[in-house]
Amino acid sequence: MSPQTVSEDIQGLLSGISEADILVGIPSFNNAKTIGHVVRAVQAGLARYFPDKKAVLINSDGGSTDGTMEVVQKTAIEDFHSIFVSHQINLMKITTPYHGVPGKGSAFRAVFEIAKNLNVKACAVVDSDLRSITPEWIDLLLRPVIDMGYDYVAPYYLRHKYDGTITNSVIYPMTRALYGKRIRQPIGGDFAFSGQLASFYLSKDVWETDVARYGIDIWMTTTAIANNFRVCQSFLGAKIHDPKDPGADLSAMLYQVVGSTFDLMETYYDVWKDIKASEPVNTFGFRYAVGLEPIEVHIDKMIDRFRLGTKELSGIWGTFMPVDLRGFICNDLSVVPNEKFNLQDDIWVDIINAFALAYHTKKINRQHLLKSLTPLYIGRVASFVIDTWHSNADEVEEKIENLCLSFEKKKNALIDEWDK
Amino acid sequence: MRNSFKETIIEPLQEFYKNVLDFLPDLLTSILILALGVLMAAVFKKASARLFRIINLDKLSEKYGISGILKKWGLKDSVSGLLSKIIGGLIMFAFLIISLRTLNVPTIEGFLGDLFLYLPNVFVAVLILFAGYFLSDFLGRTALIASVNAGLKISGSIGKFVKLTVFFLSVTMALEQLGIGKETVLIAFAVIFGGVVLALAIAFGLGGQDAARDYIDKRLKGEEDKDDIQHL
Repeated sequence: MSPQTVSEDIQGLLSGISEADILVGIPSFNNAKTIGHVVRAVQAGLARYFPDKKAVLINSDGGSTDGTMEVVQKTAIEDFHSIFVSHQINLMKITTPYHGVPGKGSAFRAVFEIAKNLNVKACAVVDSDLRSITPEWIDLLLRPVIDMGYDYVAPYYLRHKYDGTITNSVIYPMTRALYGKRIRQPIGGDFAFSGQLASFYLSKDVWETDVARYGIDIWMTTTAIANNFRVCQSFLGAKIHDPKDPGADLSAMLYQVVGSTFDLMETYYDVWKDIKASEPVNTFGFRYAVGLEPIEVHIDKMIDRFRLGTKELSGIWGTFMPVDLRGFICNDLSVVPNEKFNLQDDIWVDIINAFALAYHTKKINRQHLLKSLTPLYIGRVASFVIDTWHSNADEVEEKIENLCLSFEKKKNALIDEWDK
Repeated sequence: MRNSFKETIIEPLQEFYKNVLDFLPDLLTSILILALGVLMAAVFKKASARLFRIINLDKLSEKYGISGILKKWGLKDSVSGLLSKIIGGLIMFAFLIISLRTLNVPTIEGFLGDLFLYLPNVFVAVLILFAGYFLSDFLGRTALIASVNAGLKISGSIGKFVKLTVFFLSVTMALEQLGIGKETVLIAFAVIFGGVVLALAIAFGLGGQDAARDYIDKRLKGEEDKDDIQHL
């Protein structure tokens, strides 16, 4: 295994602290604008809900140049007693740059190492670009671990029906069908876990792989489920964060997220091949509905992108996709009028399964394979938008449920092909 | 008169006869080696074909797309068939060279010497062509996918252009390795490549001024028609 990501100075500091009950990690990279709010919410949450626990806040930074670490050090709730008259704060704050492969996974690894060193009972990690985090999030994430013996708490957010489309159309249905647990936001970004699970994560030899760079969220969720740790989810309310880098392109996102999911399919084949159905997991927190503000979507443009893909990439898809599936996508679907455009659930599941199998058999270069998924994904999103334009949140959730059932229904066929 | 006849006719004939007698053992050895080569080539071809079948080479080639490439090249043989033919051919070629050397003819020996000196160049040129083919295919596909994902209508042309350019570059390098028209090929490549780039620049600059302005405006000022969908 590669050397530790935490410096010797921090190791010394930790030996001074000796032990702690709770650790909250905030990975960051150039988040000076938003991290102050996140730190304040964490401090307030710990003070209000866990006043008797010894807590440590770790900012694991990837080399920010905008003063993120300074903001963390300086941030404090100035008039603390006006907010929590009867509460004291028992919090130690540490900022540390991590070493190793640059990426969110390495930042998390530093958190796991510190959690192990301090022998903490519970950890939480929250994104540093959150604008909607409140002190209640800390309670909702940590309470199931501290009081109820859960090992892993996934977030459950309120999101617009067209937010998190990769999660809704690929990652959630696939994770659920493969591993049998209905965790609605497997790549949510804000999690809590037990000290025992943190040590387990640390024992895995993945810290020089893509997990250290970008695949950490789905890796944590899948590792927890596949290794039979007790999992649940907590309803946190709305998730509003800084807009992602506009330069970050969709195909790179798909490549990273879907590639990580496919990699985990290889690792845990022996686990998922025997799981026949999915079951709900316990959900904590008070659930409420979200208002749907109109948003701008250019459906015609999206369908054009899909059609461009079917025209130019059908040769690539032909190397691994069943003939009838490719025929339907490239011949039938590419000529229907836009208003009748419909990439149904069954077809979408067949597409994703064909990509997963091609990834498994290495039929073509994996980067080419995953990046050629982009036009099909855009087509699926366009179809979903057309289908749900007038739907409310519950109706949309029902449609996502139907997609999940399609994934579950076709799982046996996937296993048969996988074994060939 | 009699002496003159002996000197001009009999002695050369005797010399020739002697030479033929000297040469015959070499010729016979050479023919025998060649025959042995034919036999060995057939045996090795058959044995290697059987070995490839045992290790399921054709199935593996199918899996990794090598069979598809051969089909694309118009080759009807399976990978195992082709490889066993190559092995047989190489053995045959080795025996042919040995048999020719056994003849001990200075002209043939000189030719073989030159051939052996040149063979590494042919080998390297073939390697360059193979590498060039695979690299051009890979980069052409990368460019095609990237331009499709960027929504460019001319994606197909971009992919083909990248593929052909890389392959043409590898052909140029292979020809240079073989010493064929070194400067001519290089200059031709530079002229064609430079010409294409210049033509594209002029075409885009003159014909697509408005499109270029629109594109740059949208990119720099962030005026693109972006969807509000959050994918992650």
